[in-house]
Amino acid sequence: MVAIDIADATAERPVIDATLRCIARFGVGKTTLDDVASEARCSRATVYRLFPGGKDRLLEAVVLHETARFAAGLRDAVAGIDDVEELLVAGVGYAARHLKHHDALQFLLAYEPELILPLICFRQLDVLLAIATDLAGPHLAPYVGEDEAARAGEWLARIVVSYLVAPSSGFDLTDPDSVHRLVRAHVLPGLAPFLRGEHHHVVH
Amino acid sequence: MGRPRSRLRPNALARATCLAGRRSRYVAASRSYTATVARSTRQGSHAPYPRNVPTDLTVRERVLEAAYSCVARYGIGKTTVDDVARAARLSRATVYRTFPGGKDQVIREVIAWETGRFFGRLAEAVAGAPDFASLLEEALLFAHRAVEDHEVLQKILQTEPGRLLPQLTVESQRTLAFIAAFLVPYLEREQLAPGVDVAAAADYVARMVLSHIAAQGRWDLTDRAQVKTLVRTEMLAGVLAQV
Repeated sequence: MVAIDIADATAERPVIDATLRCIARFGVGKTTLDDVASEARCSRATVYRLFPGGKDRLLEAVVLHETARFAAGLRDAVAGIDDVEELLVAGVGYAARHLKHHDALQFLLAYEPELILPLICFRQLDVLLAIATDLAGPHLAPYVGEDEAARAGEWLARIVVSYLVAPSSGFDLTDPDSVHRLVRAHVLPGLAPFLRGEHHHVVH
Repeated sequence: MGRPRSRLRPNALARATCLAGRRSRYVAASRSYTATVARSTRQGSHAPYPRNVPTDLTVRERVLEAAYSCVARYGIGKTTVDDVARAARLSRATVYRTFPGGKDQVIREVIAWETGRFFGRLAEAVAGAPDFASLLEEALLFAHRAVEDHEVLQKILQTEPGRLLPQLTVESQRTLAFIAAFLVPYLEREQLAPGVDVAAAADYVARMVLSHIAAQGRWDLTDRAQVKTLVRTEMLAGVLAQV
């Protein structure tokens, strides 16, 4: 579902990026295809040729691109790490910072919550959690096995979403020290029974 | 236009079932949440309500009860202040005196009020649990079922999520604070893992509880064995000395 071939999508990319800048400035409701075209310095016809369904199709493509970009960023953030604690800190920290500094997403949460929240609450949260599980699972599987990795991926996504939507005085997930404390205090102890081999040296 | 007045409140049956024989304690729990709402509303710039009016709470509650039944019948978008006044058997002027912000304020406060009642019922349902882990298990089993069975919530989630969810999200800070405050005394009775800060742990556990109430994800929260595993790994492994 989130596997989008970035190479195939290079023509779309400038338009997608322009759309994100427009959303960060005016929101989804007020952004028109004219705004997007002028922001992307292309013609309206080009936008329509790339996204024949108009604005709806364009917004779907934006979501797919942003999910793929998030997945790629997560991969980079945890690349080369061979310690489960470091992996968790890097992954959770990356996710929290990326979402916190995502201007279009933050505009939506602040000014058009009626558009974004139905996509991330109740039943729809299940969809989001499933995507997050797909993204995080493969990174965790070497440490805890595949079944547990899927479960843990969902757990980590819940943590990130919760602190994103309702910030806390206890933990600030955009601060690496704070993520470290959270991972040590709550996540590692919960994973301990599943950790394999040399990774099984977790203490409180 | 004359909408028929229904004498049966849509939530009457659910409330009666949940509250049988335990009303006073439930009311206390739900009032404490309501008091938090009232305090923060009074401090807000656009929603002060009259002080020193002995009947105020009663009028307020009548309006909120009425607004809730209107929302259940017509939805959030179609409910008007006139509908609410009629259902509460109060004049429009009285409704506006208590809720100067009109419909927006009534809707905002009825969402906060029903959220408070929901968590009041939850607090009541689990209050007798023997230890912290069982408390959380009962809470998840009860709350998951209560959300699924909450007809008004489910209807609004289907038809008008955009009108409900922003307010529920604003409300979630207060809901988290309420859950965490409820958990603290139970936590204090437990043998905690070394270095655990009770307030921070209560906040973390409250977040996990609320997240799972909203969406069960890969878990089956009607299955007690799964709920037990969830509580003992993701919620309490780092909190209790022994789980």
